[in-house]
Amino acid sequence: MAEIRFFGYLADIVGARAKEVKLEKPVALREILPPSFPEKNIIILINQKAGRLDSLIQNQDQVALMPVLSGG
Amino acid sequence: MKGYAGKLLRVNLSNGKISKEEISDSMKRDFLGGRGFAVKLLWDEVRHADPLSEKNKLIFATGPLTGQSIPSSGKMVIASKSPLTGGYGDGNIGTMASVYLKKAGYDVVVVEGKSEKPCYLLIEDENVRIVEAFELWGKNTFEAQDLLEKKHGKNSGILLTGPAGENLIGFSTVMSQRGRAGGRPGMGAVMGSKRLKAIVIKGTGSIVNFDENKLQEMGKKGYAEIKGKSNYDFWMKQGTMQAFDWANENACLPTYNYREGVFELSKEMDGYVVEKLHAGRKGCPLCNMQCGHIIRDSSGQEAELDYENVGMLGPNIGLGNLPKVALLNRMADEWGLDTISLGSCIGFIMEASERGLIAEKIKWGDFEAAQKLIIEIGKGEGLGKLFSHGVKVAAETIGKGSQKWAMQVKGLEISAYNCHACPGMALAFGTSPIGAHHKEAWIIAWEIANDRFSYNKPKVEKLIEFQRIRGGFFESATVCRLPWVEVSFGVDWYPEYLEAITGERKSWEDIYRLGDRIYNLIRAFWIREVPSFGRKWDYPPDRWFEETQSGGKMKGIKVDREKYEQMLSWYYELRGWDQKGIPLKETLEGLGLRGVSQEMIGQVG
Repeated sequence: MAEIRFFGYLADIVGARAKEVKLEKPVALREILPPSFPEKNIIILINQKAGRLDSLIQNQDQVALMPVLSGG
Repeated sequence: MKGYAGKLLRVNLSNGKISKEEISDSMKRDFLGGRGFAVKLLWDEVRHADPLSEKNKLIFATGPLTGQSIPSSGKMVIASKSPLTGGYGDGNIGTMASVYLKKAGYDVVVVEGKSEKPCYLLIEDENVRIVEAFELWGKNTFEAQDLLEKKHGKNSGILLTGPAGENLIGFSTVMSQRGRAGGRPGMGAVMGSKRLKAIVIKGTGSIVNFDENKLQEMGKKGYAEIKGKSNYDFWMKQGTMQAFDWANENACLPTYNYREGVFELSKEMDGYVVEKLHAGRKGCPLCNMQCGHIIRDSSGQEAELDYENVGMLGPNIGLGNLPKVALLNRMADEWGLDTISLGSCIGFIMEASERGLIAEKIKWGDFEAAQKLIIEIGKGEGLGKLFSHGVKVAAETIGKGSQKWAMQVKGLEISAYNCHACPGMALAFGTSPIGAHHKEAWIIAWEIANDRFSYNKPKVEKLIEFQRIRGGFFESATVCRLPWVEVSFGVDWYPEYLEAITGERKSWEDIYRLGDRIYNLIRAFWIREVPSFGRKWDYPPDRWFEETQSGGKMKGIKVDREKYEQMLSWYYELRGWDQKGIPLKETLEGLGLRGVSQEMIGQVG
């Protein structure tokens, strides 16, 4: 299983703060996100390293998707 | 030039003289407003003054965008030579006072001298009076606001100092509207030193803009665009508190005096808890994305929260209960104490107690002790006396290596982001021109999104770009940056607004140059006013270089000192400064600061 966690308004878009996805083979991250998911101003961390929507995800990966906040 | 009220109001509290001066077009073009006006005035008029003496001046400055019918424009900048840091200090505040000041006919108020008796300044359009304030002196900022509203009506813009400012506490702020605060580096203490309890402003005029119809149309479009943003609804639910679990996830939540970046009780107090406890919302005038979230504190009273005050008065002192944090925050607002510096002082005290460096036994998360400390710090009594000028001075007094974990830069306590694993943000705090503050260059999200562990020149270039826009343009325009940075409202709206208001077109190249002029003048002020100023003043505390977090995802990571030095060298090079951090003569003169360069002969690189 790959674990995907969503922060801020991104959690509202997908309707969950976390999801577990069972993958038969590595897939691009964008393929397991809803079509309405924003492509800009987001932080993608895959196993704590910066990633992209085209990065391949496989079982055991930990993915965190966050908005680019400003810190007030 | 259009879009300005056009006048500077000068009030001397020593002799009671009140005068009004025209603001020149060259001043408007070269320094724009707000912070730009403030640093120009301080450079010209405050030399080698004790910050708490009558020789220091306190500036309240708006900009051309202030009070206009455009998103989140109810801001002003309050600036002075800082009693906390000894250098340039300022802060912005959102308040009706900003709007009414321009309506009354003034862009700027300069307060000089020192009154013999407590007083307040009453500005009613062209009528300006200094009024005795015996009945207000000693009142907290909520009580004093109520009394002044009762006397002058709710249609007054009111700026106040609290008891902490009266007691000259180094990190006392200027307060307004029961919870709006500005001027972290002791602007409230400068007010207190002048025995100026408040400024009350009533304005009924209007500003003449270059193209009012276009401005109104663009203003409406701007408000509508903000409301239509995909993250707007979530922002309205959590505001800046959405950063809480974000910071915890990224191991940069200030925890136990910045020893850690992950707090075990974070789920008890994050943005989702704010949603559950929601009791209202507060904000600044002319804003449709208010950032202040109100909950009932542990005594049942309303308190306004945002990320910075929760981070610093929560995990940083080991307190994991949001209503209790809210009560501490409300106390700080009543006393007129900066919540970031206050949380840093209390965290430092708890760590010093744990290490046996002070006699008092105060454990992490001790809510009763924290309340007692706020009162002692506000009064400057007991243990509070030691911390009345922040953690830098306290650590120098305590010694025994405590300077390494006194979390400050240039004497100003660090805002609520732990940077063991964020070297770019550490540099942003290091080079912030008022001391460690997040408003200048919040690069942390950008560096996490790209490569948080790298130390490279593009990161430094990005940091300077943020400083130019955030610390240069927004602080001078003077308008809130949150629509841009929080809900992605297009930054290109702002030159358009500026053109409709003033009639003058500014390219981004012009705006960056303006920002550079302001940053260089602030730097020159520090160099002139602080004899020991130089490269070491741009270092963050040793804790980030020498210690690592004990747990969490960034366990074992720290800032590499040698690589930090390399980034700082790139920063100086890109700024046109020498390797001591002193602006080069050609840099100053290239920015039109020839007079500054000449005054600094022998000091400039």
